[in-house]
Formats: sequence, structure tokens, C-alpha cells
Amino acid sequence: MIQAFNLHKSYGGVAPALMDVSFTIQDGEFVFLTGQSGAGKTTLFKILFGWESVDRGQVIVDRINVGKLNESNLYTLRRKIGVVFQDYKLLPKKTVFENVAFAQQILGADRKTIRFKTWDALKNVGLTTKKDSYPPQLSGGEQQRVAIARALVNDPQLILADEPTGNLDPEVSLEILELFEKMNQQGKTVIMATHSLEMLRARDHRLLILNRGRMVQS
Amino acid sequence: MISFVLNALRTTVHNIKANKQVFLMSVATITIAFTIQGFFFLVFVNLNTLLSTWDKQVQLIVYLDDGISKGKKNALEEIFKSNEKVDSISYDSRDEAWTEFKNTFSGKSGFVTDLDFNPLPASYNLKFKDDPERIVNIRQLADLLKGQKGVESLEYGEKWISRFENFMIFLRVVILAVGGILSVGLILIISNTIKLSIYSRRDEFDLMLLLGATHRFIKTPLLLEGLVQGVIGVGLALGLVKLTHIYMKFNFQGSLESIFRGVDFQFLTQPLLWTMVLASIFIGWVGSFLSITQYLHSTDRE
Repeated sequence: MIQAFNLHKSYGGVAPALMDVSFTIQDGEFVFLTGQSGAGKTTLFKILFGWESVDRGQVIVDRINVGKLNESNLYTLRRKIGVVFQDYKLLPKKTVFENVAFAQQILGADRKTIRFKTWDALKNVGLTTKKDSYPPQLSGGEQQRVAIARALVNDPQLILADEPTGNLDPEVSLEILELFEKMNQQGKTVIMATHSLEMLRARDHRLLILNRGRMVQS
Repeated sequence: MISFVLNALRTTVHNIKANKQVFLMSVATITIAFTIQGFFFLVFVNLNTLLSTWDKQVQLIVYLDDGISKGKKNALEEIFKSNEKVDSISYDSRDEAWTEFKNTFSGKSGFVTDLDFNPLPASYNLKFKDDPERIVNIRQLADLLKGQKGVESLEYGEKWISRFENFMIFLRVVILAVGGILSVGLILIISNTIKLSIYSRRDEFDLMLLLGATHRFIKTPLLLEGLVQGVIGVGLALGLVKLTHIYMKFNFQGSLESIFRGVDFQFLTQPLLWTMVLASIFIGWVGSFLSITQYLHSTDRE
């Protein structure tokens, strides 16, 4: 479960990035987070996975008070979360397989486990045939699938997807959305940031709307 | 744990390969710096050997007043015998000294044999036991004898030895100062090398943190990289110093022996070798540690 209470974040500009943002997301929910560019969606995600701190307020992710974690213990939070970005953040000099396996290596898994789990994650996103390719050799949709496999491979309970379809055409976007829904059906909580109206209309998931740093619908 | 260590080693090798040029430049800098330091040590070790060789040859000569009484002489002999550091005592009377002097110099100057009086005093020649504190022991006995009646003067090359000892202290200070300056320089260079390595792969490190890597997971390979730089650098430096030592020994040992009997060109002592190796490992570690800590601080939440 995620609970956010009166989050306030300012980068020193005229308007704060987040103002009094509060919400609760139950385990196993699928939630769209939407709002215009600059509404605070990415800032909110960064706070949830401990990349940014809040000026005021509290956020609790799976019983962890994120603000109370010191920097060297943030990994305990991040290992519970799978993050997917709009720009994929794949390592270009590693193969598809190595990119996904990388997340397992970080946890210190043994080779056999790494091989098994990486293969399983790639199978889930339908990319086993591309395992030896390098990211620049893949289409945008395929690269995003690799990023999703990497987010999945450590079996996190929460998936944060920040505009994962922002660079993709509508057809591929829908396929990616279906992948996230498949993960949700497997019991994972998914928060997907998007400002694609088509996607929001296509599905009847709960909607969190941010407008200039304020949560206008939760 | 085994998997962690293997991964750290693999990542270290990967880091080195990815930044080969910067790594080699850093190793070359360490090699040059430690070679300079090694040469200083080599000079120091050999001068020290020379000093201790001379120390062994130093004797204390006690010149006596011409009119010294037998009682006073006995009292002085008692002082010598009661000193545990004295190895042997020999006495040269005025006549013996004069005969020896004449024998040595008669062929060189007629002036010596023409003298109709004996200008030389009687003397005691004291040899001291082998001891690292030999010069100190001689000095202590000399200080005790200075005030004694019947003693005209004392001689043991004190001024010369003091000067040489002062020079060795100066050399020690120079070595420490040069070592200190080189160490700070090396720490900065290694720190910058690792920083370049981090910034060239910043996206990868950021990703590691995002995926839940511990600080230890990120730090270990980079610390190892610094250590490897230090070890290879000092290894090459010691190799160069050893080659120089072999060259010097091969070409100049004969000349050295003809000037200073029994003196051999020495290589660095074991403690100095270990000091250099440990210093380079420490410098490599500190250099890496500084830049990693800086990077990890830059990722702290704001």
C-alpha cells in the first residue's frame, strides 16, 4: 500500500512542483497518474522511489517511511519497486539479456538464478528471440519491453511507469499497456503516468490527476 | 558473498578495460612518483650503510697531560674498565707515540727528525663494542672524561660525525617532505582518474542505484580499481629502482669498494619496500574513496 500525506516539494522556482498532495493506493491496484507536462508526475515518482526528498509531508511505501530512510538504506525501498522510464534507460553496450540480467546481478543472485529469471522475464514480454541484440538494434517498442522485463525480473510488488508510451505509436502503446495490465493481473500494483487521452479513455482504471502540483482528483 | 566478490572483480576488470587509457596514465604517474621516492630511499639506505661502517671504525683517543700522576692514570683506567661498552683499551706512552710518529713521517720531512724534544702526549686508545648506539656510548664516555684532571683532550671525529648525522636527518626530512607532496599529488590524480571513470559511466551507476544496488556494490569495484592502480604502479617503480641498483652495482661496485672498504651497494630494506607497497595501496584506496564518496553524495536526495 502507498500512502502520501500532504506532500510538498519545491525546486526554488516560482511555483512548487507539488503542493499538499495526498492519496492512498491499495495493493494490487492499477492507477493512471495524469496531468499536463510539468504537473509534477515525474517529481511524485522520484519521491516514491527515493530519488528526491520532500520538503514537507510523509510518504509510506509498503510500510517503509521513505523520508526516514537514510541514503545508504534506500536500496531496501528500491528493491520493492520496478521503475520504467519514457527513455528506457537501457545500457547500449550490453545485450538485451545482459540488460535484464543486470538488475539480478545487483541483488547478488547466482548465475543459475540470473539465467533462469532473466529468461523468464524476457519470455513474459515476448523478447526471447532478441536476447542477443543490442538496444540500438531494437525498435522503440522493443526497447520499452526490455525495460519492462528489467523492471519485472526482480519480482517487485510495485511498478512505477513514467510515461512508458510517450515515445511510441498508439498501436505499440496499447501493447505496452496490456503488458502492464498483465503484471497487474499477476498481483502487482501498477502506477502508470501518462498524458495520452486515448489510453485513459481506452481503460477504466482509477485516475489520479495532477494540475500544477496539486492533486485535483484522487 | 562469493558471487559478490566475483562480480566486483569482473566489474573492476570491465572498468579498467573501458577506461584503459586513463587507467594506464594513472599507473604511469604512480610509477614515476614511486620511482623518484625509491631513488631517494636508495640514496638514503646506502648513505646510512656508509655511516654505520664509519661508526664501527670510530675510536675514542684520550690524550693525557704531560705531568699526569700515576694515581690519576690508574683512576682513568678504572673509569674505562668499569664502562661495559668499552671493548679494548691500549696505552701509548709519549715515547711510543713519538717513535711511531717518526717512523711514519721520517721519510717525508727532515723537520720531524730534527726536533730535539717530544711534542706528543701519551694517550689511551679505546675501542667500543658493536652496538647500534655506539656513537652515543662514545659521546657519553667522552662527556664524562672531559672534566677529569689529567685529560688534555679527547678525539673521536665528533664534529665530522655530527655533520654527517645532521645531513642524514636533513635527508630524512627531504624524503618525508617529497613523499608527502608526491602522495597528495597521487591521491588527487587517482581520485580524478576514478572520477573520470565514474562520469563516463554515470548513467550506469545511476541505474544501479535505481535498481536497488547497495553503496557497497558500487564502491567495491571502484576501490579495487584504485588498489590495482597502486599495486601495478608501485610494482613497476620497484622494478625500475631494482634495475638501477643492479646497474650501479655492476658498474660502480669496484670503485666504491676501493674508496670505502667492505661497503656494498645496498637495495631497499624490507621495511622500506613494504612501506612503499602499503603506501601505494593506501593512496590508491584513498584516491578512489574520495571520488566515489563525492559521486554518492551527489546522488543524495535534495
